[in-house]
Amino acid sequence: MGIRSTTATLVCMALVATGCGSDEGAGDDPTEVSTASPEDTPTVSDTETADAGGGTLTVAISSDPGSLNPAITTSGAVHTASETFFNGLVALDADGAPVPELAESWEIADDGREYTFTLRDDVTWHDGEPFTADDVVFTFEEALLQLHARTQASMGSALESIEATDDHTVVFRFTEPYAPLLQQLNVTEAPILPEHVYGDGTPLEEHPANTAPVGTGPFVFESYTEGSEIRATANPDYFKDGPFLDGLVMRVIPDEGTQLLSLESGEVDFLWGVPGPDLARLEEDPAFVLESTPSNPGGANCIMTISFNLERPITSDLAVRQAIGHALDRDRFVDQVLFGQGQVAEAPISSGIPWAHAPDVELPTYDVDEARRLLDEAGWVEGDGGVRSKDGETLTIDFVHFPTFSKYGELVREQLGEVGFDVELVALEPPVFGPTVFAEDDFDTNVISYCNGPDPEIGVRRMYDSALIGDVPFTNAAQYSDPDVDRLFEEASQTVATEDRSPIYAEIQRIVAEDLPYMWLVETVGTRAWSARCEGFQPHTGLFAESARCSDA
Amino acid sequence: MSARYLLRRLAQVPPSALLILVVTWLLLHLAPGDPLIALAGQYGDEAYYTAMRERFGLDQPLPQQLATYLGNVLQGDLGTSYVRGRPALSVVAERLPATLLLASTALVLSTTVGVALGVLAARLGGGRADVSVRVSTLTLYAMPAFWLAQLAVLGLAYRLGWFPIQGMTDARRSLSGLAAVGDVFHHLLLPAAVLAAGELALNVRLVRTGLLEAARSDYVRTARAKGAPGHRVLYHALRNAMLPVVTVLGNRIGMFFTGAVLVEVVFAWPGVGRLLLTSAQSRDLPVLLAVFLVVAGAVLVVNLLVDLLYTRLDPRISYAARD
Amino acid sequence: MRPVTDAVPAPAADVAARAAGVRAASPTSRRGRPELRRPAVLATPGGVLGVVLLTSAVGLALLGPVVVGDRPFASVAAPLQAPSAAHVMGTDDLGRDVLTMVVHGLRTSLVIAVGVVAIAGVIAVCVGALAGSHPGSLDDLLMRGTELVQVVPRFFLAVVVVALFGARVSNVVLLLGVTSWTWTARVVRAETLSLRQRAFVEAARSFGAGQTYILRRHIAVSVLPTALVMLSVCASGAVLIEAGLGFVGLGDPDVVSLGSLASNAQRFLRSAWWLTLFPGAALLILILGINLVGDALGDAGSARLGPVGLGSTR
Repeated sequence: MGIRSTTATLVCMALVATGCGSDEGAGDDPTEVSTASPEDTPTVSDTETADAGGGTLTVAISSDPGSLNPAITTSGAVHTASETFFNGLVALDADGAPVPELAESWEIADDGREYTFTLRDDVTWHDGEPFTADDVVFTFEEALLQLHARTQASMGSALESIEATDDHTVVFRFTEPYAPLLQQLNVTEAPILPEHVYGDGTPLEEHPANTAPVGTGPFVFESYTEGSEIRATANPDYFKDGPFLDGLVMRVIPDEGTQLLSLESGEVDFLWGVPGPDLARLEEDPAFVLESTPSNPGGANCIMTISFNLERPITSDLAVRQAIGHALDRDRFVDQVLFGQGQVAEAPISSGIPWAHAPDVELPTYDVDEARRLLDEAGWVEGDGGVRSKDGETLTIDFVHFPTFSKYGELVREQLGEVGFDVELVALEPPVFGPTVFAEDDFDTNVISYCNGPDPEIGVRRMYDSALIGDVPFTNAAQYSDPDVDRLFEEASQTVATEDRSPIYAEIQRIVAEDLPYMWLVETVGTRAWSARCEGFQPHTGLFAESARCSDA
Repeated sequence: MSARYLLRRLAQVPPSALLILVVTWLLLHLAPGDPLIALAGQYGDEAYYTAMRERFGLDQPLPQQLATYLGNVLQGDLGTSYVRGRPALSVVAERLPATLLLASTALVLSTTVGVALGVLAARLGGGRADVSVRVSTLTLYAMPAFWLAQLAVLGLAYRLGWFPIQGMTDARRSLSGLAAVGDVFHHLLLPAAVLAAGELALNVRLVRTGLLEAARSDYVRTARAKGAPGHRVLYHALRNAMLPVVTVLGNRIGMFFTGAVLVEVVFAWPGVGRLLLTSAQSRDLPVLLAVFLVVAGAVLVVNLLVDLLYTRLDPRISYAARD
Repeated sequence: MRPVTDAVPAPAADVAARAAGVRAASPTSRRGRPELRRPAVLATPGGVLGVVLLTSAVGLALLGPVVVGDRPFASVAAPLQAPSAAHVMGTDDLGRDVLTMVVHGLRTSLVIAVGVVAIAGVIAVCVGALAGSHPGSLDDLLMRGTELVQVVPRFFLAVVVVALFGARVSNVVLLLGVTSWTWTARVVRAETLSLRQRAFVEAARSFGAGQTYILRRHIAVSVLPTALVMLSVCASGAVLIEAGLGFVGLGDPDVVSLGSLASNAQRFLRSAWWLTLFPGAALLILILGINLVGDALGDAGSARLGPVGLGSTR
């Protein structure tokens, strides 16, 4: 740390000398410094420069967020651009374990139905108001449980009450034991808003503070130019160590090719994703650092999954689904679509939830002969042009996908074509995809990135629970219904101890791997890339730049 | 005469705009799909979706939604963006200056440089030069904008480093005053040049043809015979040659907007083109409609202006005879 | 500018200027230009080049599949191979042959061009001829409608329609067809109007020929060359719009689109130049071919429409 600070001092001096230093004065006040890192203060001047001289970081983001309020949406664009202004009650470390953030400690009642959080008393909002338990209650009641779809859907029905027993204590009560709560309180799932700003009666979706957010996070909002950039300065009163940067600029660059060229030419310092083809080249270049993580602001532990419409004649036949499973060479998806940024899915639950992941489950493996044999047996005989048919009907299926997932469609079409399918690709934007697949059930097969989240209760159960067959998007697309699976999910959600939940989820995975309502293709990861002049990122969280610093090398 | 004509043209604008609005609105609302998904994300439950539908008035019958919408439009209210929760018109208005700056710079570039090169090309005379001018301008004209943009970014910005790669400003510096203007100008040049290229080629062609025609015409011959100075002759000839340039210009303003969409994507230019793409993807219908109205409106207005310019350039034109 | 052409490209610029009612602006079209009055497209070097380019593009699209096969999406080799004897344009990220994809992409472009021209041509000739032969309220009404359609930003509308109704080639053809006829209609109307006044039509009328007969036999035939020029403009515009849609990721996934190929190539700009070069060049050749041929047609047309040429119209 000492060496680093010295380096920073030198760099800072150099900057001042050449006159191209940062223009903002944030963090220059020595009084801020003493609160920021009390345990690590070799000399006053050293610490001061450590806090003030971290440079300005420029980050490329792919889409214009429109709003900077992460509590009222699950939109990845909004979360990417806004989480850094806020905090959750707890944070999740790189392994997904909860660690204190706004809450310094918590207690869980023995029956698993009551959680008591003790909040920090030294936190202030960016406008100087103190942070209290009322803010937490307000955020859950008015924002998260109303408008944050993931938190609303998973926690909403089980929550009995949420109460501030004093200024710094919050109690969550549930109607039945509720295991996954601690995984759902980070800044992605439950960012906390200030009541004194958002609680003025204006509907939250139209609140002016949505484009001028006030939070507790490491960076203070400075300006937002629609379609162009968001600027922020370091929060001098941040309750954790840091931030060390002077400021942060998030630049909207929609085209990933342009993003990469901007990184290489030094116009930006940090990318949330790297175009696959350039991965290897960038990895070898010492000017850049790459790191992979299964977490994204839009959700964690995602598996690209093919859903079969179990109500359609062709795909309702298990043999056909198995044949499709055997016809797919999933390694090629990893190599040619993801360029190695991911791995073949070994089980229905992501390996990112190790205690629930069951790698010994048997999924269909790549075996073209087996696929052909299964189709022959099912009565689909090869005809003209290689397309199979049965009773005068050809083996034609559609494959519905987001335009961004077109590569998956192209590979599926090619690989299924090998064994006699005629696959018709249908590219639909998300707002059209949702109703087409879930309300109208108008598809044979489709591909969805099902994000499992940090707990199977959050992102896995929705795919299989027969109660979730219906119009609600991104739930049970296959229309799969099995009473045993329903019962097992219920049991797992009410079991508190992780080691007791593991075997239940293993049993679920065994059953669904046999029934094959879905085919799990690949687990995807995000790869962040940054300029080697910067360091100290935490790529797995929305507060990625909390402890980062940049030098002008 | 021309004032009456322009008044008549002006009177045609509102009904045209209204009809375009209604047709587009119907098209958007009859299409399959549901803006809710964009609003609510992929994890909501039934009650949540119902509540969201009510909040945004999406549960009412279509005719009622249309009537409400038209009523609001007449009062200058184009609705509230589903995604942003702000008035759609202000969302578009914020993005419009960037596109206008890009398009008007491209317009100026293509006209000034195009006319200048056209005059030069005319000096080459007809015959052999004709083929090379024709083929080279048509080649530039035929180049897809996105392709040219890719090549320009890769070559001029990335490899040679003459221009910034993306954006409208330098993200690292907060500049003010003259320095800020210079910074924007530096960022503007390359995308504007790419956007202008095709139009420029067209103008070279038109001016050159016009001047060659004029050189053969009686009035230029007479002027020359009378010993008028060369620049005066050129002025008169150019004035005539400019007429097709102006006509074409008026009718291509919509296309500048179109080209702007592709150029904005490649250069990360924060204009309405990208707003169109993102709001189409998220089905933010009020914003989509607002973009439409604004662009169509701009085209109408520029057409009017071109008509005005015309009367100044060529007094021979009788507007009563038009249309 | 270029890609996506809401109006008139170079070849047709003077024709367009005339259509806008600026007869005086374009002495070209009416005055005799002996050195340019050539009988056919092939008479100018530009026209020859245009025919060569267009023929090679069309030939590649029509006959290419015989050589490269009709499965453009099949993976045939290792991914991202540079051009070689086996794969003259290299292979893409899924190991598909780029030549095969370019051939099929050209087919898609042709389908778009022909489809749009067919729809737009029919509408334009009907509207233009009707308006031109019925001066007065019908003409007024039709021209109001034409102006209305003319201000619709076509690419903007196409983005919306494709995003909402799905990226099908048929959707694109239909949309562009019903929005691309306006310039042609104005040209047809202008020519019809002026031909009505001309001696040979008067003569036909005095012989007792009916309105429909006159329209069909004389006006329609005389107007055809000019209309063809405008339709060539329409064709290159449509091809570029479809490519633009492909480039922003809104192409039909079931067919190969040159724009989608260029968009895919965007990710490989640094690592696989052949992915962007060949589809872009194919597009350039096709558009340039159409434009040069249209250009030559315009010359031939304006010559034919001149005082002498008119009399010898078929």
